[in-house]
Amino acid sequence: MALRARLSSELPAKLVVPAMPTPTTITPTREHKFKTNTILASHGRPPWYDETGKRISDAFVIGIAGGSASGKTHVARQIVKALGSVPTVVILSQDSFYKWHTPAEIELAYASKFDFDHPDALDMPMFASCLRDLKEGKQSNIPIYSFKEHQRLDEKKYLYGATIIIAEGIMALNDPSLRALYDLKIFVQCDSDLMLARRIKRDVTERGREVEGILEQYLRYVKPSYDNFVGPTSRHADIIVPGSDNNVAIDLISTHVRRQLAERATPFRKNIAATPMATPMEERASFWSTNKDHASLIVLPQTHQLIGIYTIIRDKTTKTQDFIFFVDRLAMFLMEKAMEQLPYRSKTVTTPIGADALGKELDAKYICGVSVLRAGGPLEKGLQRVLNDVPMGSLLVQTDTGSGEPLLLHVMLPEYIRLRHLAVDTWVFLLDAQIGTGAAAFMAIRSLLDHGVRQDHIIFVTFLVARSGGITILHRAFPQVKVVCGAVDEVLREAWLDPYDKDLGSDAPNTNAERRKCYIVEPGMGQIGDRYYL
Amino acid sequence: MSLAHDPNSSDLPSSSTMASTIAPTSQNSPAGLPPSVFTLPQTAQLEALYTIIRDKDTSRGDFLFYSDRIIRLLVEEALNHLPVVAKSVQTPTGATYDGLGFEGKICGVSILRAGEAMEAGLREVCRSVRIGKILIQRDEETALPKLFYSKFPQDIASRYVLLLDPMLATGGSAMKAVEVLVEHGVPEDRIIFVNLISSPEGLKTFCAKYPTLRVITGWIDKGLNEQAYIIPGLGDFGERRYCI
Repeated sequence: MALRARLSSELPAKLVVPAMPTPTTITPTREHKFKTNTILASHGRPPWYDETGKRISDAFVIGIAGGSASGKTHVARQIVKALGSVPTVVILSQDSFYKWHTPAEIELAYASKFDFDHPDALDMPMFASCLRDLKEGKQSNIPIYSFKEHQRLDEKKYLYGATIIIAEGIMALNDPSLRALYDLKIFVQCDSDLMLARRIKRDVTERGREVEGILEQYLRYVKPSYDNFVGPTSRHADIIVPGSDNNVAIDLISTHVRRQLAERATPFRKNIAATPMATPMEERASFWSTNKDHASLIVLPQTHQLIGIYTIIRDKTTKTQDFIFFVDRLAMFLMEKAMEQLPYRSKTVTTPIGADALGKELDAKYICGVSVLRAGGPLEKGLQRVLNDVPMGSLLVQTDTGSGEPLLLHVMLPEYIRLRHLAVDTWVFLLDAQIGTGAAAFMAIRSLLDHGVRQDHIIFVTFLVARSGGITILHRAFPQVKVVCGAVDEVLREAWLDPYDKDLGSDAPNTNAERRKCYIVEPGMGQIGDRYYL
Repeated sequence: MSLAHDPNSSDLPSSSTMASTIAPTSQNSPAGLPPSVFTLPQTAQLEALYTIIRDKDTSRGDFLFYSDRIIRLLVEEALNHLPVVAKSVQTPTGATYDGLGFEGKICGVSILRAGEAMEAGLREVCRSVRIGKILIQRDEETALPKLFYSKFPQDIASRYVLLLDPMLATGGSAMKAVEVLVEHGVPEDRIIFVNLISSPEGLKTFCAKYPTLRVITGWIDKGLNEQAYIIPGLGDFGERRYCI
């Protein structure tokens, strides 16, 4: 159906969340231009796992079906709007899942003689598998369908980290495998003459099409499809929403969703990852005593140079240029040590004088770095020194000033991690300046595992680890993750921060001029990100 | 001081310490070597770096990149042999950290031409370090190494010297270089010889002549062939680094 050409192939789509806490807004222009895969977000994603590192719950999935031009998208957007500050919402359109077409089908499509309104036009198994991945908190790379070319594009859209997923489309309730995934099934019921009227208006004004052509298509494909495949699925719906004047229904739905989310959210608050001081003393003691030759915590040999470097960068009187220089030097040490953790296999080479040399070569299929912004940044440079073309991803994790919980604000990962079939063979150097409470490390590791990266393929590289901090819990939750650090500091203590405190301030620009609680590693080296960048 | 849990770590010096009295903790001397010889930790990763630069099919770009990585590790290790003093600092969190401060002036001396390849690695770690040069060639008449050229900082006698040459085969030119340095007033035990690959024969001769001079070597190879090339070695370092 050529009408769908109005959905441009240049899809919008930004995964997850803007960095600023903005209220959910929908710009009217976008609403008209785009329909597929819009991500609306209000603020960062709070922990979606508990202190054992396991995910607490699945994403909440809403399926919305209804006739063409019945107002499905409008209902979806109204629900999002009514929910207010929900972390991350993905609206997934069935249009993304049109099948890969043969040349003959494409020819039909250009002649407006291909039935896009038949269930067979859609790749339901793929729709269901993408939806299932998202629901289970994994990444998904959903296809992009071009209505200009009437073909699925080679490129895919990466999505990760949704709390609520809304799948909408005329066939959204058609397939049993899809229906099984929904937590809430909505059918938008609209008079067919109203739908036709909307359709004519939209196509004439937005597409400049002739009324006659619109009607012909309506009668040939759209109407039979509605009667045969779409309308009957209303019996699967939990709630049937009118296609116009539906404020009450939207209100009921959003109240229900909010309550459901609140029930699932309860464990977040007692999340120990945010307050790791709760580790039992004995467990901590046993971690550190068995850690003498612990495979999971590798501390750099404490050489004169190393201690000398730490003395300089810990010194609060050290000037910025020296701080940067010595942090960069230290980063190289750490990355060389981290490289030792990768697997190697034997290899024999011939030297220029003709002798054979039995040596080794790296035995890792894919390697990439992921830095936890900002303070992981200095380590990136060190990684690039040892692997100059290594792909670098980043995660932005910030502390919620209100709850003290970490929030995931931004995810940008290399293809080796975005694509699940590559992620299983990928070694990741996860970079962050220090492990104090371990909350950010926890969140970053969980994100990588969600993508299919193997736990024993993650090497966390950091300048400092606090002995009394979250490292013990981190190790309990992810025993196979290796941590490479340069020094272990004794103390992790709570402190109250004044806004704009350059020495102690956290990474977050504190604009609300309130004192807030944070954790400080001691003796430590102050806020590494601030000292390196500001 | 926050002492990390490291199986290699030994007690840290509590007062001013000279390089000659406290052994650095990252040393890893294989048995049977002279006590003044230190190698880098022989990890699989280091071996992999060497495998790349030994391979005759390695491109010049990769040869540069990977030999630079090894050089950086060698330089960092060499610096561990310099003296340090105890130093306490205040951290930004208000705590006190009992650490170490660097002591003593240093300079690099490279044996031309291959030794120059190691200067950049030294400058990366010690910004604006002074660097002297020595050119030693084989004398056609006597077949012995002969000094052709040397240019050192004026105060070299008061500095620790990192002597840079990537390959130690027979040890002839290295010994000649040390001789020249000693003539300029540098005490033998203030010279640290840094190289990537050495032969056991060369090490033995060299260390017998200069027992208090520290040698930091990345890898000790099998031996020398009839042409006095290191086996398996990596060919002519200077040639591969600059010319091929």
